[in-house]
Amino acid sequence: MAQTEVLKIGVVSALTGPGSEWGLAQDGAIKIAAREVNAKGGLKVGDKTYRIEVISYDDQYKAAMAVSGATRLIEQDKVKFIFGPMGSAALLAVKPLYEKNKTIAVIGAYTEKALDKDTKYSYRGFPTQTEFAGPIVKWLRSHYPNLKTVAEFEPNDETGWASQRLLKGDYQAAGFEIVSSELVERNVKDFQPVLTRVLALKPDIIELGTTPPGTSGLIVRQAREMGFKGQFVKLGGPGVPQIVAAAGKDFAAGLISYAAADTTTKAYKELEAKYAEVLKPPMNEFTVYFYDMARMLLEAIQRAGTVDDTDKVRAEFEKLSPYSGIQGQVRWGGMDHYGSNHQIITPVFVGIVKNGEQTIAGQIE
Amino acid sequence: MEFALQIVVNGLMSSLVYILMALGFTLIFGIMRVVNFAHGEMYMIAAFLVYALVGSLGWNYYLVVVLSALALGVFGAILERALFRPFVGRELQGMIMALAVSITLQAVAFILFGPNDLSVPRPITGVFDVGPMVIPRDRVAVGASALVVLLAFYVFMRYTKTGLAMRAVVQDEDIASIYGVRPKIIHPLAFGIGAMLAGFAGALMAPIYTIHPYMGAQPMLKAFIVVILGGLGSVPGAVLGGIILGLLESLFATLVNTTVATMVCFGIVVLILLFKPTGLLAR
Repeated sequence: MAQTEVLKIGVVSALTGPGSEWGLAQDGAIKIAAREVNAKGGLKVGDKTYRIEVISYDDQYKAAMAVSGATRLIEQDKVKFIFGPMGSAALLAVKPLYEKNKTIAVIGAYTEKALDKDTKYSYRGFPTQTEFAGPIVKWLRSHYPNLKTVAEFEPNDETGWASQRLLKGDYQAAGFEIVSSELVERNVKDFQPVLTRVLALKPDIIELGTTPPGTSGLIVRQAREMGFKGQFVKLGGPGVPQIVAAAGKDFAAGLISYAAADTTTKAYKELEAKYAEVLKPPMNEFTVYFYDMARMLLEAIQRAGTVDDTDKVRAEFEKLSPYSGIQGQVRWGGMDHYGSNHQIITPVFVGIVKNGEQTIAGQIE
Repeated sequence: MEFALQIVVNGLMSSLVYILMALGFTLIFGIMRVVNFAHGEMYMIAAFLVYALVGSLGWNYYLVVVLSALALGVFGAILERALFRPFVGRELQGMIMALAVSITLQAVAFILFGPNDLSVPRPITGVFDVGPMVIPRDRVAVGASALVVLLAFYVFMRYTKTGLAMRAVVQDEDIASIYGVRPKIIHPLAFGIGAMLAGFAGALMAPIYTIHPYMGAQPMLKAFIVVILGGLGSVPGAVLGGIILGLLESLFATLVNTTVATMVCFGIVVLILLFKPTGLLAR
């Protein structure tokens, strides 16, 4: 007779404040997957059946809070599998804990430093700018040949610094000129002073990078009001609904963004409905990636036949490649760039905002 | 020159909201000796009232601004009666109580509205092109409304009997009591007016920025800087401090960046605390 035990999976990510749209995608994804498994009677691992319990801690996108959350998950809650963090500074602060305690982590974070040849237990669950920005910038160059100069806005922290370095390289490699690189504190809401200086440089493009969606919407609105007629591009985290809400439909029209998902598909709509059962909508597109990752991880645990030996689980996790994700095949990659195959590789979509909604303008494999 | 004018205009627009926030904060401290760290949450609650009543129920925005401010006034008076009265003059305990109220109100907003940034439709859109300057109409409306509220506050404090009584309490509560001023009435009134001013600021700014449970922290911090500059408890000091902060922020954020602007503002606070700890205008 199979026993029912509890398998705890942790989340430490930004669940409140700016950037929480992305953190909640990690939280929501594992909660949906857990709910599905529990509804079927639990996860069968070896001769035991486990009910999955998700324990979530909010890091508010801050390194200190992430360390405290991850420590609590590992030491007190005895968790072996964690989703998060999403912020780069937070990830860099907790990654040594994951590696030391052999905790398998499905991480977010755009920083290049998240993965290296020594990374064993951290797996990045979504494509970063390293994977998608270059191809989209090239797409931009060929589809909008009249745009030549770029002003970039990024948050003033590890996430923003890493993104700024990378995007600068991608834009310059594609023949664009960077006229301004702004780093702005996450709590700034009044961009008029900064825009006064930036707009005087007459950029063709304002690149919003990893600026949180709500804040991006404010930049869009304030720049348009101050007379900016150029192109807005956002090659950082997605969040078109929040951008449109903050900027207004008219001002957001034409914004080109990296789109994590084709939001018009049936699979996406079904996931949205499931998300609404575990967390308050709207669902961020990142949920798609982390939902695939959650299903992969649970399958890997099942195949490994253990919830304790994370070396066996990670071996099975890595074997699940390619994996049939909800919007196409995903696989592990990144050896050439990071020195380890711990980066998920997925299809990338180019989105353009029309009438307040994101539509897909192109797909890059 | 183009830049200079735009910097001044941007700075003054921010100043008026900072003053509105700081006046309430400094009034409460001046009269009750309570450092009200929950002041930012009055701003946040008013913004959420605008979100609920204008954004969801479609009420008239201008009516809601007045209603929100009045509601916050009543709420402030209730807070004073229920939670802060025992701590009048006991600054440390009052501060801890204010922090507890602040965190509790944030948590309530989080439970009710969630963590995401929310927006309400703006009642006024477009810009005024004044020579080389671009001034958003909604910011002008906020600035003008703030100015009217500040003038009303000035007239109330300067020319009414109650205002005189409040100023008397600021100077010396015991002496004021001898002359018939009743602190039990003045305290909730001051707390209510302070909360009402923050409510005005929050309701006015709700359509300009995004709304979320932690939005009160930033204006609260600004109010704190303003009153340190002007002098804790000094109403003219709050006006002067607000103007200085708004202009400095605008100047450095335009010419350098927002990080340096923040640094300069705190740098000046450090200098004031070192060389004129009572602030520029406090006696």
